[in-house]
Amino acid sequence: MSITLVPACLQSLPKPSDFHGHLKSNNPNRRWNQKCNGIRCCSSRAWNNSTTEKNYYELLGVSVDSNAQEIKEAYRKLQKKHHPDIAGQEGHEYTLMLNKAYGVLMKEDLRRDYDKSIGQMRLQFGRNNSSLGYSSWKGPFRPQALFVDGNACIGCRECVHHASNTFIMDEAFGSARVKLQYGDDDQNIEVSVDSCPVNCIHWVDAEELPVLEFLIQPQPKKGYGVFGGGWERPANVFTAAKSFNKQLKQQEATDFHQRKGRVVEEETPAQAEARANASMNIKMGKFLELWTWMKEALGENLK
Amino acid sequence: MAEPAYTVASDGETTGDEKSSFTFPEMAIGIDIGTSQCSVAVWNGSQVELLRNTRNQKMMRSYVTFKDDIPSGGVSSQLSHEQEMLSGAAIFNMKRLIGRVDTDPVVHASKNLPFLVQTLDIGVRPFIAALVNNVWRSTTPEEVLAIFLVELRAMAETQLKRPIRNVVLTIPVSFSRFQVTRIERACAMAGLHVLRLMPEPTAVALLYAQQQQQSGHENMGSGSERIALIFNMGAGYCDVALTATAGGVSQIKALAGNTIGGEDLLQNMMQHLLPDSENLFSRHGINEIKSMGILRVATQDAIHKLSSQTSVQIDVDLGNGLKICKVVDQHEFEEVNREVFEKCERLVHQCLRDAKIEIEDVSDVITVGGCSYIPKVKNLVTSIFKGKELYNGMNPLEAAVSGAALEGAVASGVSDPFGTLDLLTIQATPLAIGIRADGNNVVPVIPRNTTMPARREMTFTTVHDNQTESLIVVYEGEGKKVDENHLLGYFKIMGIPVAPKGVPEIDVCMDIDASNVLRVLAGVRMPGSPKPIIPVMEVRMPTVDDGHGWCAEALNKTYGSTLDLVMVQPKV
Repeated sequence: MSITLVPACLQSLPKPSDFHGHLKSNNPNRRWNQKCNGIRCCSSRAWNNSTTEKNYYELLGVSVDSNAQEIKEAYRKLQKKHHPDIAGQEGHEYTLMLNKAYGVLMKEDLRRDYDKSIGQMRLQFGRNNSSLGYSSWKGPFRPQALFVDGNACIGCRECVHHASNTFIMDEAFGSARVKLQYGDDDQNIEVSVDSCPVNCIHWVDAEELPVLEFLIQPQPKKGYGVFGGGWERPANVFTAAKSFNKQLKQQEATDFHQRKGRVVEEETPAQAEARANASMNIKMGKFLELWTWMKEALGENLK
Repeated sequence: MAEPAYTVASDGETTGDEKSSFTFPEMAIGIDIGTSQCSVAVWNGSQVELLRNTRNQKMMRSYVTFKDDIPSGGVSSQLSHEQEMLSGAAIFNMKRLIGRVDTDPVVHASKNLPFLVQTLDIGVRPFIAALVNNVWRSTTPEEVLAIFLVELRAMAETQLKRPIRNVVLTIPVSFSRFQVTRIERACAMAGLHVLRLMPEPTAVALLYAQQQQQSGHENMGSGSERIALIFNMGAGYCDVALTATAGGVSQIKALAGNTIGGEDLLQNMMQHLLPDSENLFSRHGINEIKSMGILRVATQDAIHKLSSQTSVQIDVDLGNGLKICKVVDQHEFEEVNREVFEKCERLVHQCLRDAKIEIEDVSDVITVGGCSYIPKVKNLVTSIFKGKELYNGMNPLEAAVSGAALEGAVASGVSDPFGTLDLLTIQATPLAIGIRADGNNVVPVIPRNTTMPARREMTFTTVHDNQTESLIVVYEGEGKKVDENHLLGYFKIMGIPVAPKGVPEIDVCMDIDASNVLRVLAGVRMPGSPKPIIPVMEVRMPTVDDGHGWCAEALNKTYGSTLDLVMVQPKV
């Protein structure tokens, strides 16, 4: 029978918990990548114990609210870089992590459980749920997008009248907002933009749109007893967006420095963008409060 | 750094250390060893090129003849007549025989071949021999394959004018890991290093991914994921794969395979033409071998003709006063082989089910392999996909080897300025791997169709009080019971602390890397302590060599259920 026992070092037991240390440490010939130290095996135990681990979203470089298509693309992109066929044996550990993350995030039920376990609420707004203040897209992506400055809007309904597929009246705030980008043909949109008596419909860069749409939504103010409370939104949403973006960049820069030790390869623009999205989501902590509040108020029908 | 006290490694010929110590020194070539035909392809810097032998053939018959002192294979030698291959001196169909024990029905079906296949039906390797100067000279499928590979290698080296060491081989989906080691051994005998072993349809999938990328479907943007079903039926095996392709990445969603192919069609047909052929040929005398050869050639011709015409006249004299004169039409041929075709259909359905993909979502249906020329095979595939037209961008005989050559270039680190090699296959495991637990059951640790590389972990516990030892018996296959699966190997864990049953936690972790090396790790923990009590054991599988049927029986006899394990239900 073909088993040989090779005594190595009898005194010292393998140090930490599990095989994963073993897998990496005892096998210098196999050249497991020591740079992948942050990434360990799959067991759920390991997940709970270790805080240094990347979460699945960070690993794939996608935002927490990304859809299956985006996850798939990110996964493929990363596989192309790290798969052992391409990166050699060093890619093994990393690819294992990718497979694990992908396996969880692609299955709706597993993803929900995972989101719960990492305590991150998945924000199911946007793309498929226009009732929450975010516009969705019709047709191909365009560099320009429509944005209604809710502060300036007087609620005249002119725009809704001219382009009813694009604009919607938000009765709660008494102002109009964009429901579906390019929901009507260009001419109707043109007319509705022109018809606005206070010129509050703006053409903005599509990249800026998410930030603007996020900021224009009234946030609950912190209340002190009977004082304060209620809702507020920035007086000038455009300047607010500028400073928000600036903060975001700073945050990203510091994040990047911290991460430098771990990540050796350059990230692609798409991943950088995804990372920015993710950290924006974290910054939206406030929004989470709102979300919870609304969920309570409206019950489960938001789901 | 903490060093574990023991390393357990099989001394098999394919150690992973060897594999990784060669960091792709040169480009690997792709080899498709078919049951009946072989081909070699290589990435020539701008495209895949099939190599030709001295007789300008791209497809070479897979056989080795032992007629002279030096055995020669189908690459270099030329048969004066088809029947020479059937004289008993030549061994062929080695891909069907390799790594099988003599209780395997496939081995029994091979008894009708002109060379000698003898079985004892006790779970050891069959006796295989070629007739040389009226003497049966024994050989093994590995040896035959190695001789053949040596010829292929020599041919490639003369043409490429450089030494060849690394190869990418295609194998059938249904090959067990034990069979894979036999293939690797044959390669080692021929001085070749197996860089990757690809299931045949996944090689086709890679070629498809390249074609998709070239044809500009990808320019459309993100929404261009295409799902393709690949149906590959050759002489020995039938394989089905479902792949999702986008941006040159082919992701294998599911694999299914079975040992059915042209050889079965041929044998059924021979049986049909000459109903008592089995009794007639069982003696393996010189005359019988000759008649068998004649019948085989005639039947083969008839089947080939039935691909293009509706009926064929068979008129053959087998000697010994045996004559066959018959008209066979397509319908009759299909009726005789109904079971084979039904099995093919089941494979396709199983693959779709496993991948959880609806028929409507499949963008392309690809049929390749020699049997894809048979009208019935085409019909059965198109009828499953409701009359969808088959993908016609590939040569059915060259697709697999071209994919292997692409993989060879990609895995060797060759890059192409035009992005033609910007490709990747994400493989999946064709068979589940598990250990024996809960009595005679196999508990899968890595299920079938898990994305590779894969690592999974499961916790087991003891069944007896104060049980200090336990056996880890690793199986591969889909059966629930141990005897329905292939035994891969076993090892014993000792030094489990004395404790009531169900207390010690035995963690079993399995790890498959991209070059398909399986390692099984086992460690023992006591509840509440994260540290292993005894050093973790790592065993490379498979460890069993021949006669694996006996191994399991012997284990059972020696230990009974004293070293058993049970699965721990995952805590919710």
